[in-house]
Amino acid sequence: MALANGPFQFAADSESEDDNFNPAPADLSDEENDDESGQRATDKGAQRASSPAAQKDGNNEDEDEERPPSKSPLKRPREEDEEDDENGDEEEVEEDGDGGNGDDEEDEEEEEEEDEEDEDVQHRHRRKRRKDHRAAFFDIEAEVEDEDEAEEDEKEGEEIEDFIDNAHPDDIADSGHLEDDRRHRELDRRRELEASMDAEKQAEILRARYGKRAPARGYGEMTVVPKRLLLPSVDDPGIWAVRCKEGKEREVVFSIMRRMEERLNSRGDAPITAAFERAGPNSVMKGYIYVEARRQNDVMIALDGILNVYPRTKMMLVEIKDMPDLLRVTKTPNLEPGAWVRLKKPAKHAGDLAQVLDVTENGLEARVRFIPRLDYGVRDDALSSLTPDGKRKRPGMPGPRPPQRLFSEVEARKRHPRHIQGNPQTNTWTYMGEDFENGFQVKDIKIQHLEVKDVNPTLEEVTKFASGSEDGTENLDLKALAASLKDNNVTYVPGDVIEVFEGEQRGVVGRVTNVQGDIVTLKVTEGDLAGQTIEVPNKGLRKRFRTGDHVKVIGGSRFRDEVGMIVKIVEDRVTLVTDQTNTEITVFSKDLREASDIGGQGSLGQYSLLDLVQLDPTTVGCIVKVDRESMVVLDQNGETRQVLPSQIANKLPKRRTAVAADRNGSEIRLDDVVREYGGQQRQGKIIHIHRSFVFLHSNATTENAGVFVTRAGNVTTIAAKGGRINNANTGPDLSTMNPALKRNPAGNNNMPPPKSFGPDRAINQTVSIRRGGYKGLMGIVKDTTDSHARVELHGRNKIITVPKADLIFRDKVTGKPIDIYSRSGRGGFGAPARGGFGGPGEWSGGSRTPMGAGGGERTPAWGSSKSIARTPAWGRAETSGSRTPAWGDGSRTVNPYDGNRTAYGGATAYGGSRTPAWSSSAKTPAHDGFGHGSKTPAYGAGGSDPWGSKTPAYGVSAPTPGASGADSWGYTPGPSGGSHAFDAPTPGAGLGAPTPAALNAPTPGAYSAPTPAAISAPTPGAWQGGWGADAAPTPAVGAPTPAASGGYYGAPTPAAYGGAPETPAASAEIRYAEDD
Amino acid sequence: MFFLHNLERRVTLHPSYFGRNMHELVTTKLVKDVEGTCAGDYYIIAIMDTFDVSEGRILPGSGLAEFTVGYRAVVWRPFKGEVIDAITQTVNPHGFFAQAGPLRLFVSSQLMPDEIQYDASATPAQFTNNADIVIEHGTHVRVKIIGLRTEVGEMWAIGSINGDFLG
Repeated sequence: MALANGPFQFAADSESEDDNFNPAPADLSDEENDDESGQRATDKGAQRASSPAAQKDGNNEDEDEERPPSKSPLKRPREEDEEDDENGDEEEVEEDGDGGNGDDEEDEEEEEEEDEEDEDVQHRHRRKRRKDHRAAFFDIEAEVEDEDEAEEDEKEGEEIEDFIDNAHPDDIADSGHLEDDRRHRELDRRRELEASMDAEKQAEILRARYGKRAPARGYGEMTVVPKRLLLPSVDDPGIWAVRCKEGKEREVVFSIMRRMEERLNSRGDAPITAAFERAGPNSVMKGYIYVEARRQNDVMIALDGILNVYPRTKMMLVEIKDMPDLLRVTKTPNLEPGAWVRLKKPAKHAGDLAQVLDVTENGLEARVRFIPRLDYGVRDDALSSLTPDGKRKRPGMPGPRPPQRLFSEVEARKRHPRHIQGNPQTNTWTYMGEDFENGFQVKDIKIQHLEVKDVNPTLEEVTKFASGSEDGTENLDLKALAASLKDNNVTYVPGDVIEVFEGEQRGVVGRVTNVQGDIVTLKVTEGDLAGQTIEVPNKGLRKRFRTGDHVKVIGGSRFRDEVGMIVKIVEDRVTLVTDQTNTEITVFSKDLREASDIGGQGSLGQYSLLDLVQLDPTTVGCIVKVDRESMVVLDQNGETRQVLPSQIANKLPKRRTAVAADRNGSEIRLDDVVREYGGQQRQGKIIHIHRSFVFLHSNATTENAGVFVTRAGNVTTIAAKGGRINNANTGPDLSTMNPALKRNPAGNNNMPPPKSFGPDRAINQTVSIRRGGYKGLMGIVKDTTDSHARVELHGRNKIITVPKADLIFRDKVTGKPIDIYSRSGRGGFGAPARGGFGGPGEWSGGSRTPMGAGGGERTPAWGSSKSIARTPAWGRAETSGSRTPAWGDGSRTVNPYDGNRTAYGGATAYGGSRTPAWSSSAKTPAHDGFGHGSKTPAYGAGGSDPWGSKTPAYGVSAPTPGASGADSWGYTPGPSGGSHAFDAPTPGAGLGAPTPAALNAPTPGAYSAPTPAAISAPTPGAWQGGWGADAAPTPAVGAPTPAASGGYYGAPTPAAYGGAPETPAASAEIRYAEDD
Repeated sequence: MFFLHNLERRVTLHPSYFGRNMHELVTTKLVKDVEGTCAGDYYIIAIMDTFDVSEGRILPGSGLAEFTVGYRAVVWRPFKGEVIDAITQTVNPHGFFAQAGPLRLFVSSQLMPDEIQYDASATPAQFTNNADIVIEHGTHVRVKIIGLRTEVGEMWAIGSINGDFLG
């Protein structure tokens, strides 16, 4: 009934119909023969009732027509009357061009079956006759069946084919003349009818009848009869769903068929019209067979004693409206050996790719091979043991599933030597009840436990299978792979260059202009059709690339987002060399897109390839691979780890200025090419310098994107970037300061803080400790080194060593902080001057409180200095314990601790940060101040009568510097004078000591503190405002100087003084530069 | 392929160099800045001469003087399909890297004649057809460029030695 048997059928039809309608008596007999044959065929058809083909006919609309026959015994006379009409109908029907004795015959099968159940054997003859005349009537159903046939399986069709083949010999052999009379009558009527029509009409009828025939033959009138007319109605036999054993459906149906064959024409002949099953692997109708019969009892009879079917259990009558659905044909995916599937069932392997080796005959199970997930009993103990709460673990509890690995006999033998047997020659094993071949697990799995559609195996999965072959050669069954990938519709985007590889347009290459659903419009770019626009279904298309194209992987493979250049194309497999890592990968062309020339890849959020990132406070790493969600980082220890962007603390900006020293002590910077000294002697370009680690990039290796890490001390320079080494040859750097014009700033910068000579003045000073465990304790300095002082504590009888920077020198008496090194600075200079000015009375006042000493009386500058608002530094100095703004300021700005808080200080632990603090705030000005100061008091002492005479120390010291000049005058006399002055009870000395200290301290302090600010600030206003106060005292201080000195030592003082303004400025500048 | 190309560039000069030989310095700086660099899809090999040095313009803020200089330079632009000579740098199982002047090339093993196979046992590792052809570090090869990639300041090509007179 399927198309395949069409030729036979239609051959028969045409013959018979011709015969039928040509009003020749001889033909009639022929038709009878046909009918007869139909009758015979019926018998055979009945045998085949169980075959799906027969069923189909059975459950369809034919039933309508069958009904009359079933009632026929009673209504016989009437039927005969109707016959004429029917024949008339027949004619009209056949004008539609349909034909089909074959169909008739099939209908008759049905009738036959039904009749059989009702009637005795002796009725047979009569029935035959009856059928014969009805044969024509059934033509209408023939059409119907044609349609159904189209959907029928070939197998079923073949059966019918047989049947027809058989029928024809019957035709010839059996020429009954049973109904001659009737036929004759019929013929007469028809003739009459024809005669009544005019010729034209007749011609029309004929044309209609025969003109359409040819096309009708081929594919039937699928559209001629509205489908709804074909649907089953209440008049049709019912269909019962009968439970059977799952998987045995087909078997049951076949045994029904056999039974029908056996019992044909016997008493046990079951009166069912059809039996069929719709069990597919994924069908919901599995476990049932469907039997069509008039009565439920008929079904019972038919199924009685057949194995695996349970008619006694609940039998369901299929509703009429469900009948068509029951027979709806869904295309079942055909599993073929070699195809790829995914496993759904054993849970351990859910989702794993498997390859079909074989499909069992009943089509329900497939033998598949897949990569086993075995733990070889490693976790057995854990499983059998008890859970902590004492309960036995449930056996079904899924542990972590072992990774996919090929079966290893060795592993298996380790723990389960008894459970393994097999043949090492063929490499087939049985282990724990499972079969393994060549490392793969082989298992029969029900097809419903396989995912057949949308398998989409990735190349790497498939490669695992391929590499499993013994010789290791690539034996991919690409055809199967391609087939399993076919479902996956590739989407084409306008602009893609594609190639048609299937169908008529095969070989055409073009560029996609439009995509609508499955139809791709492309403009042909090559060949004869160039310039034309054609439309092709996207099935036969593939993307086309050329070697050398720069492409990006877009598909679902694990190489997604890689960008590279194509080196090889085989069919639709494309091999490309990735830009990032220079490795070769193979992907399907469908997964590729042409990439823009700039590979904008390799970044994830703010992090991109080769960035230096902070992983934790002590670890940094260089990004060597960027995936979609994570990246791989090579840390400073040379280990790679996979991290998420969220695990990265922050990104370290590239520090262009970062410098390290290589093994030979030469400077290495970013982009220099260096080589490892030992080890693998790898060579690379420096991409990052982080503390002592350098991250190098090399093109020689693809590992870690060519990045490796080593210690700065472990590399030697090969070539410095920009020819820094041979820079001298190429000339000066014209974008920076002309070196020739530079005024040796470097010399200044690098000049160490001036040495002080003689015993450290700190010795015997009273100090308090600023930091550390002894913070706050007071003591006396017993001894010093360059950096440390040994302090004898007041509180405890203990001498400790403290960094000098942590000491605050205090006045012995008042406990106020003093600056011992700057005690004779400008203040010292000014103080005697002032003393000279103000006279002793004034002086004593000034001595006690610098503020008072400033007094304000004389110069407005000093007056302003009295106010707290003078400078913040000053104000702070006033309120806080640290008197000297120099200290206060110094500690705040360049204090090592402060420095630590600033960005760079922490990371690099700039040892220098301490140094500038020292040199600028403490030493340099101190020294400078001292330099002048030492002179000044000396002179002042000598010059000013009131107290210079009183303090012999001064008097002594005065001439000394004056005489000695450069070397010895600076320090020695000063401190000696100072220290004596401190110790000395004389008011003069007493005054002398604190005064310069107090005065002097603020001065350099004030200088050093605001100076940078003032200098850096471009507006003179800042200078005026912030500094004006201080600017004022300078001349004020300066003013008294000549006054004090008079004409008396005019030369040295201005000279000294002249240097003074510059000095703090210079020192401030230095400090500024160094601080930064 | 080599071309003589007229180009233009802005050169800045530090004020401390202002003086009589300023143009000379500008040219020097230009040469230093430009020669041997990759400008998009070509390399500037050498500067022949400068033919137009504009008047300097002081850049506000920095005080540098900016000159617009027109110059003529020999440039090299590799093309797809071009055959060039290169020197092998590294050899790995996937292919070898070679250097053609400033250009780095990769020749995949797929793009070699079939008979040329990777031989890891040799030291250094090499590609060889076990006859006259041995490609190892330092070997001179003639390569046809089949793909080019340009990045900022770098170019990168894929070559083939699969063809007549290549290898």
